[in-house]
Amino acid sequence: MLKVLAALAVGAVLAGVASVAVVNVASPTPEPPNKPLYNYGTR
Amino acid sequence: MRPHVTRPGRSRRLLARFAPAAVGLLLGVLALGPALGPGFALRYDMVFVPDPPLVLGSGGSGGFPRAVPSDQVVALLSLALPADVVQKALLLGVFVLAASGAAALSPGDRTAARLAAAAFYAWNAYLAQRLLLGQWALLLGFAGLPWAVRAAARLCARSGVARLREVAGDTARLAVALVPAAVGGFQAMLVSALVVLPVAALGRGLADGHQVATPLRHLGRRDLSERARAVLVSVVVVGVLSLPWLVPALLSRAVTDPAGVEAFAARADGPFGTLGSLLSLGGVWNAEAGVPGQGSWSVAAVRLVLSVVALAGFVGFARVAVAGERRFALAGFVRLAGRGWGRNAGAGRYVPGLAVAAVAGLGVACLGAFAPGVLKGLIGWWPGFGPFRDGQLFIAPLVLCQAMGFAYVADRLGRMGFAAAAVPVLVLPTFALGAFGRLAAVDYPDEWRRVQALVNADPAPGALVSLPWGAHRAFAWNGGRVILDPATKMFARPVLWDDTLVVERRAGGAIRVAAEAPRARRIGALIRDGHGPLTAAFLREDVKFVLIAQKNENEFSSRFPGARPILSAGELLLLRL
Repeated sequence: MLKVLAALAVGAVLAGVASVAVVNVASPTPEPPNKPLYNYGTR
Repeated sequence: MRPHVTRPGRSRRLLARFAPAAVGLLLGVLALGPALGPGFALRYDMVFVPDPPLVLGSGGSGGFPRAVPSDQVVALLSLALPADVVQKALLLGVFVLAASGAAALSPGDRTAARLAAAAFYAWNAYLAQRLLLGQWALLLGFAGLPWAVRAAARLCARSGVARLREVAGDTARLAVALVPAAVGGFQAMLVSALVVLPVAALGRGLADGHQVATPLRHLGRRDLSERARAVLVSVVVVGVLSLPWLVPALLSRAVTDPAGVEAFAARADGPFGTLGSLLSLGGVWNAEAGVPGQGSWSVAAVRLVLSVVALAGFVGFARVAVAGERRFALAGFVRLAGRGWGRNAGAGRYVPGLAVAAVAGLGVACLGAFAPGVLKGLIGWWPGFGPFRDGQLFIAPLVLCQAMGFAYVADRLGRMGFAAAAVPVLVLPTFALGAFGRLAAVDYPDEWRRVQALVNADPAPGALVSLPWGAHRAFAWNGGRVILDPATKMFARPVLWDDTLVVERRAGGAIRVAAEAPRARRIGALIRDGHGPLTAAFLREDVKFVLIAQKNENEFSSRFPGARPILSAGELLLLRL
C-alpha cells in the first residue's frame, strides 16, 4: 500500500512538472530569420 | 513428451519479446513528430538532400572525413528509396535499435524492467540534444551501443581453450553489432570503442560456472590470456570497421584549431552547473540544441533526481551482478532465477567494463570543461585528439549505465515497474513533437533541385564553390532552422565551402574555429583578399562553378568577370567559369 501511495505521489509530481514545462514551451514562435550566414551555435 | 505450450503463453512471450522495439518505435514517432511528414528534416549537421550523389572520402575538399561512410550509405540507400524516406527510416531506426538493445541488456528479464530500460535509453537528454544538433550518425552508434556491449561481453564468456569456430562466431557477432556505429563514422566508432574495449577486457564468462568478474590481483595466466584474446578481437573488429574514415583521416593534411576546445566543451544547460548537466545526461556545447524548457529549475531538478536514482540502481545492480556472482553461481541460482534473472544470468559480465567506460567518458567530457589547457596541448601536438574537444558525446556509456540502473529499480518495483516506462517521457516532455517544432520536415525549393540537376549533368571537371563564404545557413523555407550549407552534399564533384566554425558566446564575443581543409583555407584567403576579380584565381584552383545563395549576387557577381550565369532563380545564382 505504501509503495502504491509513493508511486502515486511521484507520478503526480512528474505530471505537474511536465504540464508546466509543456505549457511554457508551447508558445508562439518568433519570425524565422533569413540570414545569409549564421553561426554554428551559441554557448 | 514435449511440453504443451498454450496459445496465450506463446503470444504473451512474443509480445514481451517485441514490446521494447514497439516502445522504441512509439517514442520515435512521438519525438520526431512533424519531422516524419513529407520532405526533409534539416537542422544543424543533419542535412539530407534529394538524390544524393555517391562521393568518396571528404568530397575533394581535403578536410577530415566527418560524414564518412554515413553519406555514402545514404547515397546507396537512396538509389532504392527516396532520400527523405531513407532519412525517416534511419531516424526511426535509431529509436527502435536503442530501445530494443537496452531491453536486451537489461538486468532481469521481467517485461517491466526491459520496458523501463528501453524507454530510458530511447528518451533522454543526450539523445534529444544530439538529435537537435543533427548528429544522426553519432546516434546510430549510440543506438547500437547496447548490442555492441552484449557482443563484447560474449567475447569473454569463453573459458578455457575456445574453439576457433566459437571465436569466429563471437567475432562475427561483434562485427554485426558494430555495423550501425561503422555506418555512423568516426564519432560513433570512438564512442563504441570506449565501451567495447573495457567490456572485453574486464568481463569474464560464466561458462566455467564461477564468478563473472575477478579482481585483477587474483588473475591467473589463463585469465589474462583470455582477456587479452577478447581485447585483441575487439581491437581488430573496431579497427577494420573504422578503416573507411580512419585511412582518409590519416592521409588528410587538414589541421585542427585548438580554439575548438573552448567552443565545443561541455556546458551547463541548467541550474546545476556543468557537472550536474553531464550527470543528468545533458551538457551539450550548443545552447540551441537544448530541449526547450530543460533549463528551468523544476525540469532540471526532476531530471537530476532521475539520474541519481538510476545511478543508485546501477550500483545496486553491480553489487548483485558482480560481488554476489559467486553466490549466484554456487547457491543463489534458484533465488535469482525466481526473481526473473534466469535468462540474463550472465548480465553482470559487462558491468565492470561499462562502469569503467562511463567514468572514462565522463572524464573526457570534464576535460574540455575543467582543464581545457590539457586538451589544447594534446590537439596542438597531434590533430588526432580533435574529436575529444566535443567531450560531452562520450557520456554515452553513462546513459547506458543509467538505463540499466533504472531498469534494475523498475525490476524491484514488481508490477508497478511497468509505470516506470512512462517516467523518462514525463521528465523530458518537451522532446515530443520534434521538440515542439525544432524538428520539422520541409521540401527544398525548386531552384535547389534545378541547380543540382544542372551541375551534376555537366561532364566538365572542376569544383564548385559555395558562397557566401560561411558554413551555416538559416533559410526561411526551413523555418529559420540553422543548417550546414546543403550545397556541401548535393553535387557529384568537389564542393569547396568555408569550414570555419563560428560559435557565439553569451559574453565575450564569438569564437572562430579556423578552417580545417587546405583547399578551403586557400579559397577563403582569396575571397577575403579585397574586392578584386576572382575568376582567374578560382580557375587556377580548378573551380568550374560558383553557387551564390540568398540574394548575395550584388556582393559577389561583380567579382567574377567572364563567368556565365547558368541559372538565376529564387534565392540562387549559378555561375560557370
